[in-house]
Amino acid sequence: MSENMGLAPPKSPPILLTREVVNAGFKQQVNELSGQHMDACYQCGNCSSGCPLAQEMDILPNRIIRLVQLGQRDDIINSETIWICASCFQCTVRCPRGIDIQAVMDALRQIALDEGIDHFGPDQISPELAASVPQPGLVGVYRKLAT
Amino acid sequence: MAKIAYYPGCALNERSSHLDRSARDATVKLGFELDELDTWTCCGAVPPVSEERVMNLIAPSRILKDVRDSGRDILITICDFCYNTLKRTNYSIKSDEITRKRVNAFLADDTPERDYLEKDDSLWEDYEGEVKVIHLMEYLRDELGYDKIAGSLEKPLKGLKIAPYYGCVMLRPQNEIQLDDPENPSIIEDFITALDARPVKYPYRTECCGSYLSVSNPDASTRLCYRILTSARNSGADAVVVSCPLCFYNLDSRQKAITEAYSDFKPVPIFYFTQLLSLALGVDCGRQGFEKHYVDVTPVLDKIGVSTGKGDE
Repeated sequence: MSENMGLAPPKSPPILLTREVVNAGFKQQVNELSGQHMDACYQCGNCSSGCPLAQEMDILPNRIIRLVQLGQRDDIINSETIWICASCFQCTVRCPRGIDIQAVMDALRQIALDEGIDHFGPDQISPELAASVPQPGLVGVYRKLAT
Repeated sequence: MAKIAYYPGCALNERSSHLDRSARDATVKLGFELDELDTWTCCGAVPPVSEERVMNLIAPSRILKDVRDSGRDILITICDFCYNTLKRTNYSIKSDEITRKRVNAFLADDTPERDYLEKDDSLWEDYEGEVKVIHLMEYLRDELGYDKIAGSLEKPLKGLKIAPYYGCVMLRPQNEIQLDDPENPSIIEDFITALDARPVKYPYRTECCGSYLSVSNPDASTRLCYRILTSARNSGADAVVVSCPLCFYNLDSRQKAITEAYSDFKPVPIFYFTQLLSLALGVDCGRQGFEKHYVDVTPVLDKIGVSTGKGDE
């Protein structure tokens, strides 16, 4: 479990931007679902620096927002980040632009789930865990990570 | 004795019953009673974000409407998840007209079909967010007053150094919760001081313990809990105090995995705030449910001269 201790990769792979992809309406969809304005983000990185789970993520939260602005739907809904976010609202509290980033993550999870991408199923939990975790953990995980 | 409507939630009803029991014991000592709602369901644990998921608001709204219909305007919860869900649901019903209408349309439609509720012939009245959802600790601070607690101590926790752990959903999102400053809170520190113990300052008190990732990604939660607990321990804490069943589970039971992964880790006992409160108010140690804890709490109890009574059994 210790191989993942370092910081998230400093560089994201290059992306190819085309007018069709950027204008396909993904950003608007996220705006509507989350009630936030993606264009408000000016990439200060405060969300990523405060995120307790940033080191577990493949794409940092501020980069997720940038990718939403650029309409990179596939990169996002196939990322680990949206499933690693624990909805702790640290980023939401600290965003100087007032974006509820947790709500954006929820919207992204919902878009992925609507595609039928379940991240966590009842078969993936061990019986001992299921018998001991307090119920908010069980209800929470299936509400957030499964359809 | 004053009775205040109380929503325990599913965790306190079963797996975290020691949180429930110590809270009831402590409040009786303080002169009021937690009056459990006659009928209640799961609140859903996490509030939905988008308007599309209006179904997730129905369960908490029904609970809140039942409280209003019974003529009460305050609802106490203890579990941080329930508190967050009920309070935020109430907030969206109050502040958003569309949500209010949709939720009430559902509620009006489904109530008579529920066989576990008695049929109600009274005039329908939309629920508009009248109930005030408050955390037990908030009630102790604002309604009862920490002075009253400090004045009723039978067994002050003198000499104990306790690290407050807030976690995430008790304070955030702050515009809807408004319990305390989300970055520099003091509600648990003041509570610890009222019990005559000393609050410990450490940097991770509002940092997430992994929440439900404990189920889907336990290793990540282990790393977070290691960071939190080590920081508290290095700052001199004898124990950590929490209010949320899931924080308790992560910080307590996960110490098994932490000990296996990190050779330098030293266990830290975890308490619910209600356990410390009822201990300080003189409730018997045997009623605190310490047998449900993974980490042994005896060293802390020894410090304040409380016998666990384990040797007697």
